[in-house]
Amino acid sequence: MTALIDARSLPDATVLTPDLVIIGGGPAGISLALALANSKLNIVLLESGGMNFDPKVQNMYAGDETGVRYTALDAGRLRFLGGSSNHWGGWCRPMDEIDFEARDWMAHSGWPITRKALEAYYPRAQELVEAGTWMYDKSDATMAAMAPMMPLGAGGVYTSWFQFSKTRDSVLPTYFGHRYEQDLRAARNVTPYTNANVTGIRLAANGRNVDHLDVATLDGKHFTVKPRQVVLACGGMENVRLLLASNDVMPAGVGNQNDLVGRFFADYPTPRDVATLVSFAGGLPAYYGSNTTAPNGVILQAAFAPTPAWRRKAGVPSSLTTVEHAVELDDTGKAAVITTALALGVNASSAQAYALGCGMELAPDPDRRLTLTGEKDALGLPRLKLDMRIADSDFALYRTTLAEFGRQLLASRAGMLRLNFDHRDDWMKTMDWGNHHLGTTRMSSDPKQGVVDADGKVHGVENLHIAGSSVFPTYSASNPTLNLLALTLRLGDHLKKVMA
Amino acid sequence: MKRREFIAGVAAAGVALVAGLYRFTDLFVKHYPPTPYDDLLGQLTDREQAAKLGAKAAIASDALSQAARLRASLRGRDLVTAANADIAAGRLVEVDGWLLPQTLAQLCALAAKI
Repeated sequence: MTALIDARSLPDATVLTPDLVIIGGGPAGISLALALANSKLNIVLLESGGMNFDPKVQNMYAGDETGVRYTALDAGRLRFLGGSSNHWGGWCRPMDEIDFEARDWMAHSGWPITRKALEAYYPRAQELVEAGTWMYDKSDATMAAMAPMMPLGAGGVYTSWFQFSKTRDSVLPTYFGHRYEQDLRAARNVTPYTNANVTGIRLAANGRNVDHLDVATLDGKHFTVKPRQVVLACGGMENVRLLLASNDVMPAGVGNQNDLVGRFFADYPTPRDVATLVSFAGGLPAYYGSNTTAPNGVILQAAFAPTPAWRRKAGVPSSLTTVEHAVELDDTGKAAVITTALALGVNASSAQAYALGCGMELAPDPDRRLTLTGEKDALGLPRLKLDMRIADSDFALYRTTLAEFGRQLLASRAGMLRLNFDHRDDWMKTMDWGNHHLGTTRMSSDPKQGVVDADGKVHGVENLHIAGSSVFPTYSASNPTLNLLALTLRLGDHLKKVMA
Repeated sequence: MKRREFIAGVAAAGVALVAGLYRFTDLFVKHYPPTPYDDLLGQLTDREQAAKLGAKAAIASDALSQAARLRASLRGRDLVTAANADIAAGRLVEVDGWLLPQTLAQLCALAAKI
């Protein structure tokens, strides 16, 4: 069993020469290390933090923001082993096939791979997040047997299902650092270093290869890693900072020859109380409003998603609408329910209203971006600034899907819907964010459209790959963890081939 | 007076009383002054609630033209049929954010104008 090495204990000026270095001990970095565990590769995993939260380490994430209100850059992510899985909610859902397609109604859309390319990796990703048997959109019968589902008429919205990462006693989802620490230790060929901060990705003079990494500890130690291959897995913000700050050979930064690194930043807007749903028949089953354990132990929660056919027809992005909590209607609301139910010949004497929330997919926007500032962190690395934007059309398109949902409720005589927000200010009042950092090193076969290619390799740099949701060129509304893990496991297979 | 006649008389008086209360008071059913649109408003089971909702509808035209449009769109159909047709065709209108079949929304707006 290997030890977790505290980099502060290394002699100054140490040089490590592994086959592969993985920068970042979050879900992607840990999963990649485990995927390559016990192979012939000598692997070093560099984690900036330790086993627990440390404010001094976390402070290296601080940065500036402009544009629409967004989570502080040092609040939406965590810098210790396990990364941001240490505060995730455990929500899992695979992306849909359409999420990978180039869609003429969504500029900059289209992955260089299809969902099929990930199919083989989803089962292992599902194991890693400990979400149990793969059910997702095959859950209707199981859950309907527990309590009847609300019928939806035919149309553009269907009942979809989230699964949840395992609940263990009082520990909610899988925190990758704690959960997989022993597995990392058990891997003969993986050496994890904690408190090891990469401060520079140093290219060879021709700019085509990573020559070495500069690594530092907060107590002043400096060492070097000279690997054959590098995988950057620090998340959608920190990947950008390292690439842009490493500008000694390529003045624009590593992989940034086409000014793409840091652009197309995205997250999931999760505004609350976007609509009011009335169920004419009364209270909805618990699985609509909270995660519910099925008889087979799988934890599920229902959501309302646009069908691929509706997305094509209406030109709308992905979205997942969820039931939040029961609400009381005002007099107009009561009049709306009474009048509509009478007009449809439905008994609504037990009607119950609920607030709805959602996770929306943003359209890719090159101007929603991260750049470096003049301010530096404790190790001298420039801090980030986020220019956060959300277009009126992002709200309008989601509203189109909500209206279709309302139409279906009326068609099925199951209920009705109130659209609570009309203007941008309404949406922004209850705006929250998923704190998933996406898109900043987007994947494309064309170096002018993306930072990495279909294998996750940085265009123009032969031995540098990127893992994680920063490579997503479009974002879906599905929470990214399960999907980025599948993509990372695929990268693992690719690395086995190229490093054989 | 025979007992049977007495009982019949009491029963008849009772029926007359209930009929009177029904026709001339709002005890059993709300009565409204006659309007030129009663053929339309009669389709609303609860006109008061409909008017409350309709007061939030942003329909600018006067009641007469509104009624004429409604008659044209109803084409003799009852409200349930017309509402279902609206829903199937996606003809929904927002009233205070509530998504309603267009015909129902127009009827509510008319009810609010009387």
